[in-house]
Amino acid sequence: MIKEIQTDNTPARISANSIMDTPFMRERIIPMLRYMRRNRLIVGGIGIFVALGLFVILSFIFYSKVDLLGETQGVNGLVRAISVPARQTPSWNPWSGYPLGTDEQGRDIFAAVVVGIPLSLRIGLIAAAIGVGVGMVLAFVAAYAGGWVDAVIRTMVDSLIPIPGLLILVLVATSLNPGKGLTVDQLGFVIAVLAWPGPARVIRSQVLVIRERGYVEMARMSGTSPIGIIFKEMMPNLAPYALASFVAAVSGAILASIGVESLGLGPLDSPTLGSMIYWNIFNSSILLGLWYWLLPPIVVLVLLFIGLFMISAGLDEVANPRLRRRV
Amino acid sequence: MPWRYIIGRLLMFVITIWIASTFVFFLPRLSGQNPLAEKIYQEAQQGGYEDPNVAERVRVFEAKYGFDRPIWEQYVKFVTDVIQFDLGRSIFQWPKTVNEILAEKIMWTLAMGLLTLILAFLIGSLMGALMEWRRHNIGLMVSMAPILALSAVPFFIFGLVLQLLVFNIDNEFPLVYGYQQGIVGWPDWTDFSFILSVLKHAILPALSITVVSLGGWAMGMRGMMVTTKGEDYMLQAEAKGLPDRVMFFQYAIRNSLLPQLTGLTLALGLIVSGVVLVEIVFGYPGVGGQLLQAVRSNDYPTTQGIVFVLAFGTAGATLALDLLYPLIDPRIRT
Repeated sequence: MIKEIQTDNTPARISANSIMDTPFMRERIIPMLRYMRRNRLIVGGIGIFVALGLFVILSFIFYSKVDLLGETQGVNGLVRAISVPARQTPSWNPWSGYPLGTDEQGRDIFAAVVVGIPLSLRIGLIAAAIGVGVGMVLAFVAAYAGGWVDAVIRTMVDSLIPIPGLLILVLVATSLNPGKGLTVDQLGFVIAVLAWPGPARVIRSQVLVIRERGYVEMARMSGTSPIGIIFKEMMPNLAPYALASFVAAVSGAILASIGVESLGLGPLDSPTLGSMIYWNIFNSSILLGLWYWLLPPIVVLVLLFIGLFMISAGLDEVANPRLRRRV
Repeated sequence: MPWRYIIGRLLMFVITIWIASTFVFFLPRLSGQNPLAEKIYQEAQQGGYEDPNVAERVRVFEAKYGFDRPIWEQYVKFVTDVIQFDLGRSIFQWPKTVNEILAEKIMWTLAMGLLTLILAFLIGSLMGALMEWRRHNIGLMVSMAPILALSAVPFFIFGLVLQLLVFNIDNEFPLVYGYQQGIVGWPDWTDFSFILSVLKHAILPALSITVVSLGGWAMGMRGMMVTTKGEDYMLQAEAKGLPDRVMFFQYAIRNSLLPQLTGLTLALGLIVSGVVLVEIVFGYPGVGGQLLQAVRSNDYPTTQGIVFVLAFGTAGATLALDLLYPLIDPRIRT
């Protein structure tokens, strides 16, 4: 009977003690693999990411025009170094050595996409890490302190949610560095400014639920310190929620960064996917029929967003067993 | 209805408006630029000769805009003005007030936003309900998969894809602008061909917002339907032998639709941001393009006005939904 329950193992259910006294493989990896066979969303999402990652890595290794190493010819440097004249006619000729053609500054579109994927992800990761981190701290403080502290944090979060974030980000981006645009990392920090209310809201409600569970009560009665309860009992059970809101935050941050960049307020000299779209809009590439310039960043972005969406939906399923597909 | 709830929600609304107006006041001023002086110097140099009184003129205009006062005084004046909807005068398009600029543009944004929101809400909810109701219908699941996947993509990226597709299929279809070009002065809304051109121009942006939003509503609705299907009254309806259609529309959908409104309050801010971007990509005559221009030219009053009005609208709609919700849905009335 116990065996049967454990084949349906989910991270939400493992308590800290059971990991210690049982073989790691049999208890964690195999049930996880078995679960993944049912949760196709996560597998599909991770698959998209692995494919994109492989694409980037293989391109860095085998595509000689992108060079990861070498400071002077750093990633941005190389992509820019290819652009010899300041302005060129975009062209696409697969036999010219540029598989996806070149843009209006003579940059290699393929190289720009390869470099742009990690850059755009980096913005998303920076913003999401800060956002979820701050949100989580606020959530725990609110749930534990209760009273007026909780009221203040909750009111702050709820009042920020209806404000259209992109508009505020546009204001921040223009005022921080007028005329020159932000760097990739700065853009990540700017987006983090509005990335925390969502995660704070989700995690706070979960903390409140989990705090009342039997095993937390048990730990409290057996004299575990509050810090111990938070890290040993609550964190492992919060993990799927926190992870789901992290993935959603990465997606939201990339969405925001693409929005800010497409308005020409991002790092215009770094070939992030959003800047590529900005240059396309700026040069009205669609009306000029330069579809091969616009299509690569769009395809990659769509893949990125769908991958993140699938992972986040799959994690939701881990966190809320009610949504789980019956087999 | 409990007064505590109403007062709490009203308080939240006031705080939202206050935060928005504070952001909107301080953020543009952080850049340390002086767009007013820039604009006046620029105009003074036009016509080839330097106006000797230019510094004096800058001073007069700064006094007019109140830029010579201490920052806190400006802030207090801004907040008190803004809650009376006096948004000041634009710098870039000088004699115009921000209210005049907004009056021209906001209806386009409002019409586009509301229309697509309602369309997407209704169609998406119906799709989600059907998905759960006929959960073993493979054809339905396969056809829904791309719509669900699309919901992860930003509105304007899908808009660009639509532009690409349409441009390569039919060169004559309008990709940008909101109505036929070449109209001088105010457009004539009684002219049938003009209205036709407006509709034709609205199709692509509306489609790019609606199609992308469908998936989100469908997912929310499907989740609610799972819960509703497990309710006792559904079992009883089935036991009574009610026709499938009656059960679907009058039992399941009716009870699942209302909680969707909660999702709406959370999504509004994102939708407004998305509509603004779509307007920019499609050159639509709403506030989006105006905002971009104002941001580029550092035209504080206009930027402030547009962002404030959009934030006010979103917060107001959220407040209205939150207050109406207990009236519509007797189940959560306490």
